[in-house]
Parts: sequence; structure tokens; C-alpha cells
Amino acid sequence: MATAKAQKKHPLAGKTMTGADMVVQVLADEGVDCIFGYSGGAILPTYDAVFNFNHGKKEKDQVRLIVPANEQGAGFMAAGYSRASGKVGVALVTSGPGATNTVTPVRDCMADSIPMVLICGQVPRPAIGSDAFQEAPIFNIMSACAKHVFLVKDETELEATVRSAFEIARSGRPGPVVIDLPKDVQQWRGEFQGEGLLAYRGFDKRKAESDAIRLSKDKADEFFRILRHSERPLLYVGGGVINSNGAPHLSEFAEHYGIPVVTTLMGIGGFDTTSDLSLHMLGMHGTAFANYAVEDCDFLIAVGSRFDDRVAGKAHEFAPLAKNIAHIDIDAAEIGKVKAITWAHTGDAGRTVKELLQHGKHVKTNFSAWQKHILALKKNHALNYKKTGDLIQPQEVIEVLNSITKGDAIISTGVGQHQMWAAQYFDFVHPRSWLTSGSMGTMGFGLPAAIGAQVACPGRIVIDVDGDGSIRMNLGELETCTTYNIPVKILLLNNLGDGMVRQWQTLMYDERYAGTDKSLHKKDFIKCAESDGFEFAKRVADRKDLKKVLKDFVTCKCPAFLEVMIDPYAQVWPMVGPGKGYKEMEVGQYITPRASSAPKAKVDIGNTSMF
Amino acid sequence: MIHTISVLVENQFGVLARVSGLFSARGYNIESLCVGTTDDPTVSRMTVVVLGDDRVLAQIVNQLKKLVEVIDVIDLTKESFVERELIMIKLEVKGARRTELLEIAQIFRAKVCDVSANSVTVEATGSEGKLKAFIDMVRPFGIIELARSGRIAVARATQ
Repeated sequence: MATAKAQKKHPLAGKTMTGADMVVQVLADEGVDCIFGYSGGAILPTYDAVFNFNHGKKEKDQVRLIVPANEQGAGFMAAGYSRASGKVGVALVTSGPGATNTVTPVRDCMADSIPMVLICGQVPRPAIGSDAFQEAPIFNIMSACAKHVFLVKDETELEATVRSAFEIARSGRPGPVVIDLPKDVQQWRGEFQGEGLLAYRGFDKRKAESDAIRLSKDKADEFFRILRHSERPLLYVGGGVINSNGAPHLSEFAEHYGIPVVTTLMGIGGFDTTSDLSLHMLGMHGTAFANYAVEDCDFLIAVGSRFDDRVAGKAHEFAPLAKNIAHIDIDAAEIGKVKAITWAHTGDAGRTVKELLQHGKHVKTNFSAWQKHILALKKNHALNYKKTGDLIQPQEVIEVLNSITKGDAIISTGVGQHQMWAAQYFDFVHPRSWLTSGSMGTMGFGLPAAIGAQVACPGRIVIDVDGDGSIRMNLGELETCTTYNIPVKILLLNNLGDGMVRQWQTLMYDERYAGTDKSLHKKDFIKCAESDGFEFAKRVADRKDLKKVLKDFVTCKCPAFLEVMIDPYAQVWPMVGPGKGYKEMEVGQYITPRASSAPKAKVDIGNTSMF
Repeated sequence: MIHTISVLVENQFGVLARVSGLFSARGYNIESLCVGTTDDPTVSRMTVVVLGDDRVLAQIVNQLKKLVEVIDVIDLTKESFVERELIMIKLEVKGARRTELLEIAQIFRAKVCDVSANSVTVEATGSEGKLKAFIDMVRPFGIIELARSGRIAVARATQ
């Protein structure tokens, strides 16, 4: 990281200040305009420094402070801020419980490759290891979850540590970096340098190599040789395309050669879902036509995706007709991890696609027969759901909402059925418009992530599509919306239970609904929202009200809460059961399946290690 | 297959925790782990002996290279290398049997490092196979205590 370019000297260089002042100054230098966090004894000096930093400054020059109900909320707000803006979100919490409450968002960011910096107060250095009040071994705990952890033992390294944390968080495959910051280091007074990073020989070398790597002509030629000899190529796009800001390059590439695109849950927004070439999401709850296309393709081009178990539950049966698989990923450890690859390139997803196009702009391809096949798949096996009966179907709620937002809203979700319905039924036109806990699957993600996204993107409509199980996990953050007048829209699809788990219990556990029924729970969500100051807090239980109320909900200028009582028995389809191949995909009652000879046995819960 | 990996790391606080944490979190089994500084006091060498096929090894190497403090990772098994381990064994030996032990020790070039009225402590270095043979030979004397250093290794010099 010691690539200090000739730069103007920092105006505060040479000034004596506290460690806490240095932290806040470096945050400001990094472009941080908002910190999400909760104060406490061991982080007090840094909170005081935020106060002092802002004092007397114009609002636009201040570092805003958003205080959640629980530190987990702060972590997910920082994550939502990162995901929506592409900038590094920052959370600031105290030692002990403050820090341990952020373990879940830190792990969540790691699993979804989201850059985030978490600064935790720690007991003063002399007290470390003494079982002091609010002491927890954060270095050890976070080591298992984060991309990197610093415990600042040498106060003279503090400034460089904070800068390096940002550098590490956003470099390569992004991830969360934790700084464990003893209180006496915050109180120390020293000379501010205004520049400098910590030096790490291996990391610096690997980063420089990775930044410099370019696709060679031979490698590109080899790719196009495969492409020209293919008849049914398919782009399989993951979150790497979003993280690398590569969506425009990917779109150009797909359209130039006319290659259809499937995205993972994390890749949603990486390609305009309203395009003819888009097959939307693949995988366990992907569209039937996306999964059929995976079955049919003869050249699978993985870009910033990683063949995880929700996509390739039965790796050896994944894309069975693909004579070639290409894999582009920034993380060398992902290449060949699950599936044998015929063409691979370790590098930034967006940049690599751009380079491929530069090398092969002249290459002529004609995939019209395959494109026709794709259009037929989309038409014949379209998503569908129950269109009869009095109960409101969750899919129709999202369809109506989508007709209002038209792919322009930022959507966050909790985890479960509502997450999958939102992934399936919304249109996504722009990257960074879909915020979801993909890998970790953290219930309670939706509301705080929406708050963070709204802070990052004040002009956008941000909607948290949530479930009654998920929203309970961080319900305290309702108040955060109104306290700061953050106008997020919360759409609660209430099916009186943990719908996704219930669906598995229906399909695999003979309807033994252990622990998932919430019909006896007494909570009145509307009263909850009202008590937290929501001026718009409505419930819809009758279909005829749906359209108008959704319109009012979206156009409301203040934080808005809308609960829709949905069919509690609605299920998510299609479904590729855990550990099953796409041949065994079930489409439910309302989607037209393709004729298939493969028997669809029920998942034998006693005999599968899949989850 | 057993692999010996040499991991050069920044000699800093918490690095061992990061590396061993990676192995436990990803379910890789460590047969032996040995850490010490190199000629450069800011660099430590971890010699890790692990069990796994080529795919697992590629994963281990690539995952290790993602740790910020890791400077380099070399799978020594892919090249020619020398490997040594130090063991110290305290044996129940008295009287005339000492001579018998010393004869065995000499064959294995082991050295006596402590002696008392009822015991002899012997140190021996070598490869895994040699040390196993030595332990098997002296086991009948009665092992009171056994300590082993874990394996260290360096690549052979190429001409």
C-alpha cells in the first residue's frame, strides 16, 4: 500500500491533536459524510471528536451521525450505504457488547463482499486482557468474520491504520475491516501527518499485481475461439459485476454479441432485467426459464459469480451440456473451487469484460437460433402465481408496486419468501438498486440497510420489502427513520409466520410447523409504526385497496409503513430443492414446466447433508 | 496427500490467530504447525503440514494469500525440500540399561540432554520417518514424557 503519490500536503499536517481527532479527520479525508453508530464508554473520545469536528461547520461539510436502536442496525446501515453508493460505509461503536452486536453485519458484509469499516472502542491498553468492564476479545472474534482486523497497539500507527482500513476494505474482493481502538489511544495527543499507509509486503505486492493485470491478446483470442465455436453461450453474472461497477461493460458485451444473461441473487441489477436478453435470476428460486437456459447452454461464461450452493447445489450436474466454462473473478480462490473451468482469468470483472470487448469487437457471432429459443423459454415458462381467491397474493403486491416504481427504486429486503418474491417480480434496471443479504441470509437486514441506502441516495425512492419474521429482528430501527426523517418506505408482507421455513416444513417435514407459526403473536405493526412517529402507517387486507394505497405509499414524502396481509400459504416457485440438480426443479402449480423425464423425488431430509 | 507449506508472514500481533483461524474456519486439518522468525526479524516463517488433495491445497494456498499479513505461500511438496523435527524424550532408564539406550541413540545420532538417577532425556532431530523409528526403538524403556517441535522445512537449493 506504500504507493504514496506526490500529493499536496494536508492542511492539518504537523498539527497536534488527539488520536480521536485523527480518526475523524481521516474519515473526513476519505469522503465519509455519515457515520452510523452508538456511543459508549470506550468510544466516547471519538464521539466527542465528531462533535468537535462538526462544531461551527456548514451542514454539508459535517460528518453526519445516525444513531440506531442497536449496533447491529448501525452495521447494516453502513452496509446499505455501501451497497447503494459504492462508497465505504462506516460504523462506530463502543467496546464489548457494542462491538459484539456488530458481528452479524460484519460477517454479512464479508459473505457478500461489501466494503465497510467498523471502528470499535476497546478498553485502554493496560486493561486489555484483565476482564475489564465492557471488554471483549474483538480481535479474535472479528478475525473469524472480517476481511482484516486491526488492534491499534501503537498510537503512532493510528492514522495510517485508519487509512489502510479503507484501502483494504475496497481493494480486490471488497470486504469489512474492523479497527479495535483502545480508549487511551483515542486520548493520546500527537502530531497529525496527513498521509501514510501501513506497509504490508505481501498485500502491497499482490494488490499492485492485481491492479496491473491485463487480459492478454492470446487469452482473449482463446476466449473468442471458444465463443465462435459455441452455439448457445450464456452469461452467468454475479455480485462481482456490481462491485466492480462493471454493469455498463457487461451490458455492452452481452448486447454486442447477443448473449443471454442470467444473474445470481447478488448479481441482480448487473443487467437490465427488462432486456430481451435477460433471463433474470437463476438458482434455487430462479426463474424456470433461467434454469432451463443453464441446462441448455453449451458455453457458460461466469462473471463475478462463484457457483455457490444456492446456484449449483449439485455442482457436477450444473450446466451439463456446457462444453466450456469460462470464469472471470477478482478472487483467485474462487476459480476452480466448485467447478472445473476451461478458460479463466483472475481480475476485476468489469474491467475484464471491457478488455474482452476491446480485443474482440470485430468478432462476428450469430446466436439468433439460441436467442429465439431463449425468448420461447421466457414466454412458455414465465413466472406465474395463483390468480384466484380472495386472499392477496404476495406476487401481485410486488407486481403492482413495480408498475409504479418501474425498476427505478432501490429495494432492500429481509430474508425468506418475501426476499425471493421481490427478487423474482421486480424489474431492475440499474446496478446498486437491489440490497439483500445473499450469502449469510440475515433476517433483519432490510430495514437498517434501507436506512443506510436512503442516507447515501437522498433523491431515490428506497423501499424495504420485508416479512413479519424478518422485520421483528430489527424493528427498533423504525424509530431511526422518523428521528432523522429518513423517508424509507417499508412494505411488510405479513403471512403470520416464517414463510420460507414453513414452505420447507410443508414440502419436506410433512407439515410439522415447529417454531414457525406466528398467528398467535399479538403485535399490531401499525400501532408500532404509529408509536414511532410514522405519519403514514396503513394496513391493506382487501385487494381493491391495494393499488391506490401502494401509490400513496410510494409517493409519500415522509417515512411510510405499509402492511399487506397476504395469503399465508403462498409459496415461492420454482424451487430446486437443497442438494438437487436443475433437472429436478419443481415449478409449482402455476408455472408451465418443460417436459422432462427426470423423476422428481421428494427431498429425503434424513439423507441429505444439504441445507 | 500430506503437504508441507511454508508461509512467510509479517511478524506482527495476531498473525498466528489469523492463519490458524483460517484453517479451523475452513475445516482444513493441521498435522503440524511451527512458527519462528526468519533471518529478517520482521518476517516469521510458519511451516504448516496439512492433509489434502490438490484441490484442497490450491484452496489453502489461495485463501492464505488473501490474508493481509501473509507475504508469500510456498507449497514445498511441489518441489524438492528438506524437513526436520526435533523431539525430546524422557525415558525411564537406570543402571546398566543406560548403555543399551546410548547405543540406540548413537545409531540415530540422538544426544543425551539430561540425566538423573532414574531417567535419561534424549533429543533427536530428523524426518518424520526417522523419528518414528527412533521412538519405536526406545519405547520399551518406558516413555515418561515426549515433546515434539513440529516440522520445519526449507526448499533444496537448485543448482
